[in-house]
Amino acid sequence: MDGPLPLVLIYASLAFAVVVLVYVALARTPDWGLLGFAGLIEAGTLVLLVIAGVQVGNADLSGGATVTLFGYLLAGLVVLPIGFVWSLAERSRGATAVLAVTGLTQAFVIVRTLQVWS
Amino acid sequence: MSSTRSGAGRALVAVYGVFALAATARSLVQLATKADEAPLAYALSALAALVYVAATLGLAEVGPAPRRLAWAAVGFELVGVLTVGTLTVLDPELFPDQTVWSAYGAGYGWLPLVLPFVGLAWLWRTRPRG
Repeated sequence: MDGPLPLVLIYASLAFAVVVLVYVALARTPDWGLLGFAGLIEAGTLVLLVIAGVQVGNADLSGGATVTLFGYLLAGLVVLPIGFVWSLAERSRGATAVLAVTGLTQAFVIVRTLQVWS
Repeated sequence: MSSTRSGAGRALVAVYGVFALAATARSLVQLATKADEAPLAYALSALAALVYVAATLGLAEVGPAPRRLAWAAVGFELVGVLTVGTLTVLDPELFPDQTVWSAYGAGYGWLPLVLPFVGLAWLWRTRPRG
């Protein structure tokens, strides 16, 4: 958890949200590029979950903090897929904007994960 | 009549969904790990979680009378954030632990205060006419 991965994920999620807002402004519908970007963030989050699982034994966390930590990491795994399902069911600017909400939520989840860890 | 879950409503449902998920998870952790520390604050957290879940389902048009459910939930949310916000500003000691509505939701970027106004405006805008 001390490596650059959490920060990279936070900035990538924020960048994803910004790209989505550009799509909304241009009235573009989500494409494979956007899906691939989200896929990378999702894969990174999965790696973070594995790292946390390996390192949690050596970390000085209370029981409650451990539950909270993995709660956030699991939320980080489901937020993007649920957001895409909800967004892609409709073609409209509002539906595309759902992905911006998803990206910001993802960034927030990783920030909270880092806060709980340290 | 317009759908509450179409167009901009789709993004609104997403925001409500995030709040429902976050408030429910937070409330479950609080009740499971330290329920006796601040029973009033944690009961309030659980109530807020229920309200967000109900608002999400109503706006997403799930269930038999979703519009009525959404009006009730978002209306309750507005009353809740104004009441709890005012009480916590007047007497910060009232709730020993933070709730989502404490200080009008300042700890959550004021979103808990803004959200019910947006929700009510959206319900009004998409109201059935005829």
